[in-house]
Amino acid sequence: MRRPLLIALAMLFAFAVIVLPVAAIFTRAFAEGAGVWLSAITAPETRAAIWLTILTALIVLPINIVFGLCAAWAIARFRFPGRRALLILIEIPFAISPIVAGLCFLLVYGAYGPVGAALQPYGLQLMFNLTGIVLVSLFVTCPFVVREVLPVLAVTGEDEERAALTLGASGWQIFSYVTFPNITWPLLYGAILATARAIGEFGAVSVVSGAIRGQTMTLPLQIELLYNDYNTTGAFAAATVLALLALVTLILRGLIAAFHPARGATS
Amino acid sequence: MSLRIENLSKSFDGGTSVLDDVSLTVAEGEFVALLGPSGSGKTTLLNAISGLLSPDRGRILLDGEDITHLPAGKRRFGMVFQSYALFRHMSVAQNVEFGLRVLKGAERPSKSARRARVAELLDLIEMGDLGDRYPAQLSGGQQQRVAMARALAIDPRLLLLDEPFSALDAQVRQTLRASVRELQRKVGVAAILVTHDQTEAFAIADRVAVMNEGLIDQIGSPEELRAAPATPFVRSFLEAGT
Repeated sequence: MRRPLLIALAMLFAFAVIVLPVAAIFTRAFAEGAGVWLSAITAPETRAAIWLTILTALIVLPINIVFGLCAAWAIARFRFPGRRALLILIEIPFAISPIVAGLCFLLVYGAYGPVGAALQPYGLQLMFNLTGIVLVSLFVTCPFVVREVLPVLAVTGEDEERAALTLGASGWQIFSYVTFPNITWPLLYGAILATARAIGEFGAVSVVSGAIRGQTMTLPLQIELLYNDYNTTGAFAAATVLALLALVTLILRGLIAAFHPARGATS
Repeated sequence: MSLRIENLSKSFDGGTSVLDDVSLTVAEGEFVALLGPSGSGKTTLLNAISGLLSPDRGRILLDGEDITHLPAGKRRFGMVFQSYALFRHMSVAQNVEFGLRVLKGAERPSKSARRARVAELLDLIEMGDLGDRYPAQLSGGQQQRVAMARALAIDPRLLLLDEPFSALDAQVRQTLRASVRELQRKVGVAAILVTHDQTEAFAIADRVAVMNEGLIDQIGSPEELRAAPATPFVRSFLEAGT
Protein backbone atom coordinates (compact mmCIF):
# COMPACT_ATOMS: atom_id res chain seq x y z
CA MET A 1 0.00 0.00 0.00
CA ARG A 2 2.84 2.32 0.84
CA ARG A 3 4.77 1.78 -2.34
CA PRO A 4 2.18 3.05 -4.85
CA LEU A 5 1.60 6.02 -2.59
CA LEU A 6 5.29 6.90 -2.53
CA ILE A 7 5.61 6.50 -6.28
CA ALA A 8 2.52 8.63 -6.87
CA LEU A 9 3.87 11.30 -4.57
CA ALA A 10 7.23 11.37 -6.35
CA MET A 11 5.50 11.53 -9.74
CA LEU A 12 3.24 14.33 -8.63
CA PHE A 13 6.17 16.27 -7.27
CA ALA A 14 8.18 15.84 -10.47
CA PHE A 15 5.17 16.84 -12.53
CA ALA A 16 4.40 19.97 -10.52
CA VAL A 17 7.98 21.13 -10.15
CA ILE A 18 9.62 20.02 -13.41
CA VAL A 19 7.24 18.91 -16.15
CA LEU A 20 4.62 21.60 -15.81
CA PRO A 21 6.94 24.63 -15.86
CA VAL A 22 9.03 23.28 -18.75
CA ALA A 23 5.90 22.41 -20.71
CA ALA A 24 4.58 25.91 -19.99
CA ILE A 25 7.67 27.46 -21.59
CA PHE A 26 7.08 25.63 -24.83
CA THR A 27 3.30 26.19 -24.83
CA ARG A 28 3.71 29.88 -24.21
CA ALA A 29 6.52 30.23 -26.76
CA PHE A 30 4.48 28.60 -29.50
CA ALA A 31 1.15 30.17 -28.45
CA GLU A 32 1.18 32.55 -31.40
CA GLY A 33 2.45 29.97 -33.86
CA ALA A 34 5.78 28.67 -35.02
CA GLY A 35 6.34 31.63 -37.31
CA VAL A 36 6.23 34.10 -34.45
CA TRP A 37 8.49 31.82 -32.42
CA LEU A 38 10.99 31.66 -35.28
CA SER A 39 11.06 35.40 -35.81
CA ALA A 40 11.43 35.88 -32.03
CA ILE A 41 14.51 33.70 -31.75
CA THR A 42 16.04 35.14 -34.91
CA ALA A 43 15.64 38.72 -33.72
CA PRO A 44 19.11 40.33 -33.92
CA GLU A 45 19.47 40.86 -30.17
CA THR A 46 18.39 37.34 -29.32
CA ARG A 47 20.67 35.89 -31.99
CA ALA A 48 23.57 37.89 -30.56
CA ALA A 49 22.73 36.58 -27.08
CA ILE A 50 22.64 32.97 -28.28
CA TRP A 51 25.99 33.40 -30.00
CA LEU A 52 27.57 35.08 -26.96
CA THR A 53 26.37 32.26 -24.72
CA ILE A 54 27.78 29.59 -27.01
CA LEU A 55 31.03 31.52 -27.47
CA THR A 56 31.43 31.82 -23.71
CA ALA A 57 30.85 28.10 -23.26
CA LEU A 58 33.36 27.32 -26.02
CA ILE A 59 36.04 29.44 -24.36
CA VAL A 60 35.32 28.23 -20.83
CA LEU A 61 35.23 24.53 -21.74
CA PRO A 62 38.86 23.93 -22.79
CA ILE A 63 40.21 26.08 -19.96
CA ASN A 64 38.11 24.10 -17.53
CA ILE A 65 39.37 20.79 -18.90
CA VAL A 66 43.03 21.77 -18.75
CA PHE A 67 42.80 23.40 -15.33
CA GLY A 68 40.62 20.59 -13.95
CA LEU A 69 43.03 17.91 -15.16
CA CYS A 70 46.08 19.68 -13.77
CA ALA A 71 44.47 20.32 -10.40
CA ALA A 72 43.06 16.80 -10.08
CA TRP A 73 46.40 15.30 -11.08
CA ALA A 74 48.37 17.42 -8.64
CA ILE A 75 46.00 16.69 -5.77
CA ALA A 76 45.77 12.97 -6.48
CA ARG A 77 49.44 12.25 -7.14
CA PHE A 78 51.51 14.66 -5.06
CA ARG A 79 51.80 15.71 -1.45
CA PHE A 80 52.69 19.38 -1.30
CA PRO A 81 52.16 22.29 1.07
CA GLY A 82 48.84 23.94 0.29
CA ARG A 83 47.32 20.74 -1.11
CA ARG A 84 44.43 20.75 1.34
CA ALA A 85 43.92 24.46 0.81
CA LEU A 86 43.71 23.91 -2.95
CA LEU A 87 41.15 21.18 -2.40
CA ILE A 88 38.96 23.54 -0.36
CA LEU A 89 39.51 26.50 -2.70
CA ILE A 90 38.23 24.53 -5.66
CA GLU A 91 34.98 23.86 -3.78
CA ILE A 92 34.38 27.51 -2.93
CA PRO A 93 32.43 28.42 -6.09
CA PHE A 94 29.81 25.88 -5.03
CA ALA A 95 29.38 27.56 -1.67
CA ILE A 96 29.34 31.19 -2.77
CA SER A 97 26.22 32.75 -4.22
CA PRO A 98 26.93 33.56 -7.88
CA ILE A 99 25.89 37.17 -7.45
CA VAL A 100 28.43 37.59 -4.64
CA ALA A 101 31.04 36.03 -6.91
CA GLY A 102 30.17 38.56 -9.60
CA LEU A 103 30.57 41.42 -7.13
CA CYS A 104 33.94 40.05 -5.98
CA PHE A 105 35.18 40.08 -9.57
CA LEU A 106 33.91 43.61 -10.03
CA LEU A 107 35.75 44.72 -6.88
CA VAL A 108 39.05 43.25 -8.03
CA TYR A 109 38.98 43.52 -11.82
CA GLY A 110 36.63 46.49 -12.23
CA ALA A 111 37.88 49.98 -13.14
CA TYR A 112 38.19 50.91 -9.45
CA GLY A 113 39.62 47.60 -8.30
CA PRO A 114 43.37 47.03 -7.85
CA VAL A 115 43.85 44.89 -10.97
CA GLY A 116 41.36 46.81 -13.10
CA ALA A 117 42.89 50.19 -12.20
CA ALA A 118 46.38 48.93 -12.95
CA LEU A 119 45.35 47.80 -16.42
CA GLN A 120 43.32 50.91 -17.24
CA PRO A 121 46.27 53.03 -18.50
CA TYR A 122 47.02 50.32 -21.08
CA GLY A 123 43.46 50.51 -22.38
CA LEU A 124 42.65 47.07 -21.04
CA GLN A 125 39.19 46.65 -19.63
CA LEU A 126 38.24 43.36 -18.05
CA MET A 127 34.68 43.95 -16.89
CA PHE A 128 31.47 44.67 -18.83
CA ASN A 129 32.63 42.67 -21.85
CA LEU A 130 33.32 39.12 -23.00
CA THR A 131 36.44 38.86 -20.80
CA GLY A 132 34.40 39.60 -17.68
CA ILE A 133 31.70 37.12 -18.65
CA VAL A 134 34.30 34.42 -19.33
CA LEU A 135 36.10 35.13 -16.02
CA VAL A 136 33.02 34.75 -13.85
CA SER A 137 31.86 31.74 -15.86
CA LEU A 138 35.23 30.13 -15.17
CA PHE A 139 34.76 30.88 -11.48
CA VAL A 140 31.34 29.27 -11.19
CA THR A 141 32.25 26.22 -13.30
CA CYS A 142 35.76 25.39 -12.12
CA PRO A 143 34.79 22.74 -9.53
CA PHE A 144 32.98 20.41 -11.93
CA VAL A 145 35.83 18.72 -13.81
CA VAL A 146 38.03 18.39 -10.72
CA ARG A 147 35.21 16.90 -8.70
CA GLU A 148 34.45 14.26 -11.30
CA VAL A 149 38.05 13.37 -12.17
CA LEU A 150 39.70 13.50 -8.76
CA PRO A 151 37.92 10.58 -7.06
CA VAL A 152 38.59 8.31 -10.06
CA LEU A 153 42.19 9.39 -10.29
CA ALA A 154 42.66 8.91 -6.56
CA VAL A 155 41.58 5.27 -6.53
CA THR A 156 42.92 4.07 -9.86
CA GLY A 157 46.03 4.02 -11.82
CA GLU A 158 48.94 4.91 -9.56
CA ASP A 159 50.30 1.37 -9.75
CA GLU A 160 49.56 1.30 -13.46
CA GLU A 161 51.56 4.49 -13.90
CA ARG A 162 54.47 3.02 -11.96
CA ALA A 163 54.32 -0.11 -14.08
CA ALA A 164 54.35 2.00 -17.24
CA LEU A 165 57.33 3.92 -15.86
CA THR A 166 59.36 0.76 -15.23
CA LEU A 167 58.48 -0.42 -18.75
CA GLY A 168 60.22 2.66 -20.12
CA ALA A 169 57.30 4.95 -20.95
CA SER A 170 57.93 8.71 -20.92
CA GLY A 171 55.79 11.05 -18.84
CA TRP A 172 53.68 11.97 -21.83
CA GLN A 173 53.28 8.33 -22.90
CA ILE A 174 52.18 7.41 -19.38
CA PHE A 175 49.59 10.16 -19.42
CA SER A 176 48.20 9.48 -22.88
CA TYR A 177 48.32 5.65 -22.87
CA VAL A 178 47.64 4.84 -19.22
CA THR A 179 46.17 7.69 -17.18
CA PHE A 180 43.97 9.46 -19.69
CA PRO A 181 41.99 6.39 -20.87
CA ASN A 182 41.10 5.73 -17.22
CA ILE A 183 39.61 9.19 -16.72
CA THR A 184 38.10 9.94 -20.15
CA TRP A 185 34.54 9.34 -18.99
CA PRO A 186 34.59 11.30 -15.74
CA LEU A 187 36.38 14.08 -17.59
CA LEU A 188 33.69 14.22 -20.26
CA TYR A 189 30.99 14.07 -17.63
CA GLY A 190 32.49 16.94 -15.65
CA ALA A 191 32.96 18.96 -18.83
CA ILE A 192 29.31 18.57 -19.75
CA LEU A 193 28.12 19.58 -16.28
CA ALA A 194 30.40 22.63 -16.44
CA THR A 195 29.11 23.56 -19.88
CA ALA A 196 25.50 23.29 -18.77
CA ARG A 197 26.28 25.54 -15.85
CA ALA A 198 28.16 28.06 -18.02
CA ILE A 199 25.26 28.27 -20.46
CA GLY A 200 22.66 28.78 -17.76
CA GLU A 201 24.57 31.07 -15.39
CA PHE A 202 22.65 34.24 -14.56
CA GLY A 203 23.66 35.85 -11.27
CA ALA A 204 27.41 36.23 -11.62
CA VAL A 205 27.21 37.15 -15.29
CA SER A 206 24.52 39.77 -14.67
CA VAL A 207 26.89 41.71 -12.37
CA VAL A 208 29.83 41.87 -14.76
CA SER A 209 28.08 41.92 -18.12
CA GLY A 210 27.21 45.61 -18.13
CA ALA A 211 23.99 44.71 -19.94
CA ILE A 212 24.80 46.29 -23.29
CA ARG A 213 22.00 45.24 -25.60
CA GLY A 214 23.08 43.09 -28.50
CA GLN A 215 26.65 43.02 -27.19
CA THR A 216 27.12 41.73 -23.66
CA MET A 217 23.80 40.02 -23.07
CA THR A 218 24.01 36.27 -22.65
CA LEU A 219 20.90 34.22 -23.24
CA PRO A 220 19.71 34.09 -19.62
CA LEU A 221 20.17 37.88 -19.32
CA GLN A 222 18.39 38.45 -22.64
CA ILE A 223 15.43 36.39 -21.44
CA GLU A 224 15.05 38.53 -18.35
CA LEU A 225 15.40 41.69 -20.41
CA LEU A 226 12.71 40.63 -22.88
CA TYR A 227 10.43 39.63 -20.05
CA ASN A 228 10.87 42.97 -18.32
CA ASP A 229 10.12 44.67 -21.65
CA TYR A 230 6.73 42.90 -21.64
CA ASN A 231 7.90 40.93 -24.68
CA THR A 232 6.62 37.66 -23.23
CA THR A 233 6.65 35.71 -26.47
CA GLY A 234 10.21 36.79 -27.15
CA ALA A 235 11.24 35.85 -23.61
CA PHE A 236 9.66 32.42 -23.79
CA ALA A 237 10.96 31.77 -27.29
CA ALA A 238 14.48 32.56 -26.11
CA ALA A 239 13.85 30.36 -23.09
CA THR A 240 13.07 27.42 -25.37
CA VAL A 241 16.53 27.77 -26.91
CA LEU A 242 18.10 27.67 -23.46
CA ALA A 243 15.92 24.70 -22.52
CA LEU A 244 16.96 22.89 -25.70
CA LEU A 245 20.65 23.53 -25.01
CA ALA A 246 20.10 22.14 -21.53
CA LEU A 247 18.28 19.15 -23.01
CA VAL A 248 21.23 18.40 -25.28
CA THR A 249 23.63 18.36 -22.33
CA LEU A 250 21.16 16.20 -20.42
CA ILE A 251 21.00 13.67 -23.26
CA LEU A 252 24.81 13.62 -23.55
CA ARG A 253 24.98 13.08 -19.81
CA GLY A 254 22.55 10.18 -20.02
CA LEU A 255 24.48 8.62 -22.89
CA ILE A 256 27.71 8.84 -20.95
CA ALA A 257 26.12 7.29 -17.88
CA ALA A 258 24.75 4.46 -20.02
CA PHE A 259 28.05 3.71 -21.75
CA HIS A 260 30.30 4.33 -18.78
CA PRO A 261 32.82 1.51 -19.12
CA ALA A 262 33.38 1.22 -15.38
CA ARG A 263 30.01 -0.51 -15.21
CA GLY A 264 30.94 -3.34 -17.50
CA ALA A 265 33.60 -5.98 -17.11
CA THR A 266 35.51 -4.70 -20.12
CA SER A 267 36.35 -1.28 -21.34
CA MET B 1 73.63 -9.57 -15.38
CA SER B 2 74.72 -9.34 -11.76
CA LEU B 3 73.60 -6.74 -9.28
CA ARG B 4 75.64 -5.26 -6.51
CA ILE B 5 74.19 -3.05 -3.80
CA GLU B 6 76.62 -1.14 -1.61
CA ASN B 7 75.76 0.52 1.68
CA LEU B 8 72.30 1.66 0.68
CA SER B 9 70.52 3.94 3.18
CA LYS B 10 67.17 5.67 3.07
CA SER B 11 65.19 7.56 5.66
CA PHE B 12 61.86 9.26 5.25
CA ASP B 13 61.02 12.69 6.62
CA GLY B 14 61.00 12.67 10.36
CA GLY B 15 64.26 10.77 10.34
CA THR B 16 62.96 7.21 10.60
CA SER B 17 65.51 5.05 8.88
CA VAL B 18 63.91 2.46 6.58
CA LEU B 19 67.14 1.20 5.02
CA ASP B 20 70.27 1.23 7.12
CA ASP B 21 73.52 0.59 5.26
CA VAL B 22 72.26 -2.40 3.29
CA SER B 23 74.62 -4.35 1.03
CA LEU B 24 73.68 -7.28 -1.17
CA THR B 25 74.86 -9.02 -4.31
CA VAL B 26 72.77 -11.01 -6.75
CA ALA B 27 74.71 -13.24 -9.14
CA GLU B 28 73.83 -13.80 -12.77
CA GLY B 29 70.70 -15.93 -13.09
CA GLU B 30 70.29 -16.11 -9.32
CA PHE B 31 66.92 -15.94 -7.54
CA VAL B 32 67.07 -14.00 -4.27
CA ALA B 33 64.17 -13.48 -1.88
CA LEU B 34 63.93 -10.52 0.49
CA LEU B 35 62.05 -11.91 3.45
CA GLY B 36 60.76 -9.92 6.39
CA PRO B 37 57.72 -8.63 8.24
CA SER B 38 55.95 -5.49 7.05
CA GLY B 39 58.00 -2.40 7.83
CA SER B 40 61.28 -4.28 7.60
CA GLY B 41 62.38 -2.26 4.58
CA LYS B 42 62.17 -5.01 1.95
CA THR B 43 59.77 -3.11 -0.33
CA THR B 44 61.80 0.08 0.07
CA LEU B 45 64.90 -1.83 -0.99
CA LEU B 46 63.07 -3.21 -4.04
CA ASN B 47 61.82 0.27 -4.97
CA ALA B 48 65.35 1.64 -4.68
CA ILE B 49 66.59 -1.11 -7.00
CA SER B 50 63.80 -0.42 -9.50
CA GLY B 51 64.50 3.32 -9.45
CA LEU B 52 61.02 4.26 -8.20
CA LEU B 53 62.70 5.60 -5.06
CA SER B 54 66.08 7.27 -4.76
CA PRO B 55 68.34 6.28 -1.85
CA ASP B 56 70.00 8.84 0.42
CA ARG B 57 73.37 7.11 0.37
CA GLY B 58 75.02 4.12 -1.23
CA ARG B 59 75.43 2.72 -4.73
CA ILE B 60 73.68 0.26 -7.00
CA LEU B 61 75.88 -1.41 -9.62
CA LEU B 62 74.71 -3.54 -12.52
CA ASP B 63 77.62 -5.48 -14.02
CA GLY B 64 79.89 -2.81 -12.57
CA GLU B 65 77.95 0.10 -14.10
CA ASP B 66 76.72 2.60 -11.51
CA ILE B 67 72.94 2.88 -11.99
CA THR B 68 72.13 4.53 -8.64
CA HIS B 69 70.77 7.65 -10.33
CA LEU B 70 69.54 6.14 -13.58
CA PRO B 71 65.80 6.86 -14.00
CA ALA B 72 63.49 3.86 -13.55
CA GLY B 73 62.46 3.91 -17.20
CA LYS B 74 66.05 3.57 -18.39
CA ARG B 75 66.98 0.60 -16.20
CA ARG B 76 65.13 -2.02 -18.20
CA PHE B 77 64.12 -3.96 -15.10
CA GLY B 78 60.97 -6.03 -15.39
CA MET B 79 58.71 -5.47 -12.42
CA VAL B 80 55.68 -7.43 -11.24
CA PHE B 81 53.53 -5.56 -8.75
CA GLN B 82 51.51 -6.96 -5.88
CA SER B 83 48.34 -5.62 -7.53
CA TYR B 84 49.72 -6.72 -10.95
CA ALA B 85 48.96 -3.16 -12.13
CA LEU B 86 47.73 -4.37 -15.51
CA PHE B 87 46.46 -1.63 -17.81
CA ARG B 88 42.76 -2.23 -17.42
CA HIS B 89 41.64 -0.65 -20.66
CA MET B 90 44.12 -2.64 -22.75
CA SER B 91 43.77 -6.23 -23.89
CA VAL B 92 46.17 -8.90 -22.65
CA ALA B 93 48.18 -8.62 -25.88
CA GLN B 94 48.34 -4.82 -25.64
CA ASN B 95 49.49 -5.09 -22.04
CA VAL B 96 52.33 -7.41 -22.98
CA GLU B 97 53.24 -5.26 -25.98
CA PHE B 98 53.35 -2.00 -24.00
CA GLY B 99 57.06 -2.01 -23.15
CA LEU B 100 57.93 -2.50 -26.84
CA ARG B 101 55.42 0.04 -28.12
CA VAL B 102 56.84 2.88 -26.00
CA LEU B 103 60.38 2.38 -27.30
CA LYS B 104 61.65 5.25 -29.40
CA GLY B 105 63.12 5.53 -32.86
CA ALA B 106 65.26 2.67 -34.12
CA GLU B 107 64.94 0.73 -30.86
CA ARG B 108 61.26 0.20 -31.49
CA PRO B 109 60.53 -3.11 -33.21
CA SER B 110 58.21 -3.15 -36.22
CA LYS B 111 54.57 -3.93 -35.69
CA SER B 112 54.92 -7.48 -36.99
CA ALA B 113 58.01 -8.07 -34.85
CA ARG B 114 56.14 -6.80 -31.80
CA ARG B 115 53.20 -9.03 -32.57
CA ALA B 116 55.46 -12.05 -32.95
CA ARG B 117 57.15 -11.31 -29.64
CA VAL B 118 53.78 -10.98 -27.88
CA ALA B 119 52.59 -14.29 -29.34
CA GLU B 120 55.81 -15.95 -28.17
CA LEU B 121 55.37 -14.60 -24.63
CA LEU B 122 51.70 -15.55 -24.46
CA ASP B 123 52.67 -19.09 -25.45
CA LEU B 124 55.34 -19.04 -22.76
CA ILE B 125 52.72 -18.30 -20.10
CA GLU B 126 50.29 -20.74 -21.75
CA MET B 127 47.73 -18.08 -22.57
CA GLY B 128 48.19 -18.09 -26.33
CA ASP B 129 44.49 -17.87 -27.10
CA LEU B 130 43.59 -15.24 -24.51
CA GLY B 131 45.34 -12.25 -26.08
CA ASP B 132 42.09 -10.45 -26.82
CA ARG B 133 40.75 -10.68 -23.28
CA TYR B 134 40.78 -7.75 -20.88
CA PRO B 135 42.31 -7.96 -17.39
CA ALA B 136 38.90 -7.85 -15.70
CA GLN B 137 37.95 -11.05 -17.54
CA LEU B 138 40.89 -13.02 -16.16
CA SER B 139 41.36 -14.99 -12.96
CA GLY B 140 43.91 -13.76 -10.44
CA GLY B 141 46.41 -16.38 -11.51
CA GLN B 142 46.04 -15.44 -15.18
CA GLN B 143 46.47 -11.76 -14.37
CA GLN B 144 49.65 -12.57 -12.52
CA ARG B 145 51.01 -14.46 -15.52
CA VAL B 146 50.16 -11.57 -17.84
CA ALA B 147 52.03 -9.22 -15.50
CA MET B 148 54.97 -11.61 -15.71
CA ALA B 149 54.84 -11.73 -19.52
CA ARG B 150 54.62 -7.93 -19.69
CA ALA B 151 57.71 -7.63 -17.52
CA LEU B 152 59.61 -10.17 -19.64
CA ALA B 153 58.64 -8.48 -22.90
CA ILE B 154 61.25 -5.76 -22.48
CA ASP B 155 63.96 -8.43 -22.24
CA PRO B 156 64.71 -7.24 -18.71
CA ARG B 157 68.19 -7.08 -17.24
CA LEU B 158 66.72 -7.95 -13.86
CA LEU B 159 63.34 -9.22 -12.68
CA LEU B 160 61.74 -7.60 -9.62
CA LEU B 161 58.75 -9.27 -7.97
CA ASP B 162 56.83 -7.42 -5.27
CA GLU B 163 54.71 -9.94 -3.32
CA PRO B 164 53.39 -11.34 -6.62
CA PHE B 165 51.54 -14.25 -5.05
CA SER B 166 49.89 -12.63 -2.06
CA ALA B 167 46.50 -12.06 -3.71
CA LEU B 168 46.11 -15.69 -4.80
CA ASP B 169 44.60 -18.64 -3.01
CA ALA B 170 46.95 -21.28 -1.62
CA GLN B 171 46.65 -23.82 -4.42
CA VAL B 172 47.14 -21.39 -7.30
CA ARG B 173 49.98 -19.84 -5.38
CA GLN B 174 51.95 -23.10 -5.30
CA THR B 175 51.49 -23.79 -9.00
CA LEU B 176 52.43 -20.24 -9.97
CA ARG B 177 55.44 -20.23 -7.70
CA ALA B 178 56.84 -23.17 -9.62
CA SER B 179 55.98 -21.66 -13.00
CA VAL B 180 57.52 -18.28 -12.16
CA ARG B 181 60.72 -20.00 -11.11
CA GLU B 182 60.69 -22.06 -14.30
CA LEU B 183 60.13 -18.97 -16.46
CA GLN B 184 62.95 -17.16 -14.71
CA ARG B 185 65.32 -20.09 -15.33
CA LYS B 186 64.26 -20.36 -18.96
CA VAL B 187 64.89 -16.66 -19.59
CA GLY B 188 68.06 -16.74 -17.52
CA VAL B 189 67.47 -13.43 -15.81
CA ALA B 190 68.39 -12.74 -12.19
CA ALA B 191 65.37 -12.11 -9.97
CA ILE B 192 64.59 -10.48 -6.64
CA LEU B 193 61.40 -11.41 -4.86
CA VAL B 194 59.89 -9.51 -1.94
CA THR B 195 57.78 -11.58 0.41
CA HIS B 196 56.68 -11.87 4.01
CA ASP B 197 55.98 -15.59 3.57
CA GLN B 198 58.84 -17.77 4.75
CA THR B 199 57.54 -20.94 3.07
CA GLU B 200 57.35 -19.08 -0.23
CA ALA B 201 60.84 -17.63 0.07
CA PHE B 202 62.34 -21.00 0.93
CA ALA B 203 60.47 -22.79 -1.85
CA ILE B 204 61.47 -20.48 -4.67
CA ALA B 205 64.78 -18.78 -3.91
CA ASP B 206 68.42 -19.78 -4.25
CA ARG B 207 69.25 -17.45 -1.39
CA VAL B 208 67.08 -15.68 1.15
CA ALA B 209 67.89 -12.34 2.79
CA VAL B 210 66.03 -11.93 6.08
CA MET B 211 65.30 -8.27 6.75
CA ASN B 212 64.47 -6.59 10.02
CA GLU B 213 64.12 -2.88 10.75
CA GLY B 214 66.03 -1.71 7.69
CA LEU B 215 68.87 -4.20 8.01
CA ILE B 216 69.65 -7.53 6.40
CA ASP B 217 70.04 -9.76 9.46
CA GLN B 218 71.21 -12.76 7.54
CA ILE B 219 71.57 -13.95 3.97
CA GLY B 220 72.07 -17.49 2.80
CA SER B 221 70.52 -20.54 1.20
CA PRO B 222 67.37 -21.93 2.86
CA GLU B 223 69.45 -24.81 4.24
CA GLU B 224 72.00 -22.45 5.78
CA LEU B 225 69.31 -20.32 7.38
CA ARG B 226 67.52 -23.29 8.79
CA ALA B 227 70.70 -24.88 10.11
CA ALA B 228 72.18 -21.77 11.70
CA PRO B 229 70.01 -18.69 12.22
CA ALA B 230 72.40 -15.81 12.85
CA THR B 231 70.26 -13.66 15.16
CA PRO B 232 67.42 -14.25 17.62
CA PHE B 233 65.15 -12.36 15.19
CA VAL B 234 65.90 -14.72 12.30
CA ARG B 235 65.37 -17.70 14.56
CA SER B 236 62.03 -16.52 15.88
CA PHE B 237 60.83 -15.31 12.46
CA LEU B 238 61.64 -18.64 10.82
CA GLU B 239 60.05 -20.56 13.67
CA ALA B 240 56.89 -18.49 13.50
CA GLY B 241 56.63 -19.22 9.77
CA THR B 242 56.80 -22.99 9.98
